[in-house]
Amino acid sequence: MKSTFFLLPLAAIAIQGGAAYAATYLSVEQAQALMFPGASFQPDFKTLSEAQVKAIQHASGVDVRNREVKAWRVSTGGWFLVDEVVGKHEYIPFALALDDKGRVRSVEILEYREAYGGQIREPAWRAQFQGKDSGTRLQLGRNIRNISGATLSCKHITDGVQRLLVTYEIALKQNDR
Amino acid sequence: MTDQPRVPVRTRAPLPKTSVSSRKRRDKPRCPLLAKLLVGMLLLCLSPAALHADEPLFGFSYTTDLLPKGKVELEQWSTTRFHKAPGGQFWLQENRTEQEYGFSDRLQLAIYETYDSTAAYHNGPFGETTPAEQFSYYTPGPNDRFNATKFIGVSGEAIYRLVSPYTHPLGFAIYEEPTFGAGFIESESKLIFQKNYRDDRLVLAANMTYAPEWRRLREDENPSRKEIQEETDANIDLGASYRFIRNWSAAFEIFNEREFNSYNFTHESNSGYYLGPTLHYAGKNFFVTTNFDEQMPWAGRHVDTVPGALVGGRIIDNDFEKYRVRVKFGWYF
Repeated sequence: MKSTFFLLPLAAIAIQGGAAYAATYLSVEQAQALMFPGASFQPDFKTLSEAQVKAIQHASGVDVRNREVKAWRVSTGGWFLVDEVVGKHEYIPFALALDDKGRVRSVEILEYREAYGGQIREPAWRAQFQGKDSGTRLQLGRNIRNISGATLSCKHITDGVQRLLVTYEIALKQNDR
Repeated sequence: MTDQPRVPVRTRAPLPKTSVSSRKRRDKPRCPLLAKLLVGMLLLCLSPAALHADEPLFGFSYTTDLLPKGKVELEQWSTTRFHKAPGGQFWLQENRTEQEYGFSDRLQLAIYETYDSTAAYHNGPFGETTPAEQFSYYTPGPNDRFNATKFIGVSGEAIYRLVSPYTHPLGFAIYEEPTFGAGFIESESKLIFQKNYRDDRLVLAANMTYAPEWRRLREDENPSRKEIQEETDANIDLGASYRFIRNWSAAFEIFNEREFNSYNFTHESNSGYYLGPTLHYAGKNFFVTTNFDEQMPWAGRHVDTVPGALVGGRIIDNDFEKYRVRVKFGWYF
């Protein structure tokens, strides 16, 4: 064997594609302005009770890692929520905008710190959540399209949206009445 | 356990461990190899190109996680194996440089080179100096101090994922790895299973390995002639990894390595059980995986076990030792 085999890694690198790097895309304030233009926001943070955690986990099928719910009531109607889901190595913070009936208006990725999988920021992928509510069981590969190469991030964002939709139903909705 | 009476039989050349690869030879070791490797690493670090990685959570077990299509990763493995017969001296340093490429989102291809160093003295059955399997072409005297460094061989690796654990209840992939060295060929096949829990932070992995190999060695009865000896490794690896904090995972593995002087699981020669912890860190640009395993005193005698190779319930034939330490580095700039 020739020691020139050591050059093979370099040759492979020469033909590779580009990279995705960790980045902060939106602050909470920027996300609020983007998702509810012209609205004002009133914080309505909550700590979930044990019973609420169990109910959310049962209804969504997703673990509740954090009992603190970061939610803002929106002056024009609806809710603005910020949460994070598990990424490959880091957490992925995201924002969810709900209309006054608890349906998804939009989803925004606030930060993405992973080496790859950042395709979840593609507008077409995030748009799949629009109109979904807690009565819809979100499932990657069924009613939410997967992105090859970003499967883990797609799955966890899907689960995160599902969990927040159910959280709204169980812990926030009564505040609207 | 008690060994059988001493019989002048040479340890038959068996084979590698589980997943990893300690492959075969080439004569004159070239010192510049290491220098070239280091230069290659340096160039990689300076390269403006970007790498992407899918890092190993375990020291030995594989998962179904693959590189995304078009992504490339460089890995450097270092495995140190040491301690055989009590009172003897033995260490084996296995080095592996690997380049992985995501051919598609389901198929990952890799090529790697293996180059090893070893020292042995009164380490084998009945306290005889016995080279590690990769160096079994050498026949040192029973009281010689044996040292060697070799370029072992080149391996290709293909992993095809049929089912992802992120979209199905159980992940499943198949693995094939041919290895070519001087006087040595091996074909290593695996079935890889993966089950995830708790937001995919808890990962369970199971591997089943079947690896026949053919090695051209001196005949036991007539050392002036060479013959092809076949051997098959059959391994089972089980591992559990948990990401206990961002970037950090801790794992525990247990695996059983078996060797047969046949292709059909007859004429079993050796069986060793290893277990140990793994600590894994993965950041934006690199990962490090460190693993320690100890052979448990659970080995027994089999129909083709070399006399003297079973000591204190542990097998010390030329592909087994008491301790293993493995470190893997991966870069994805």
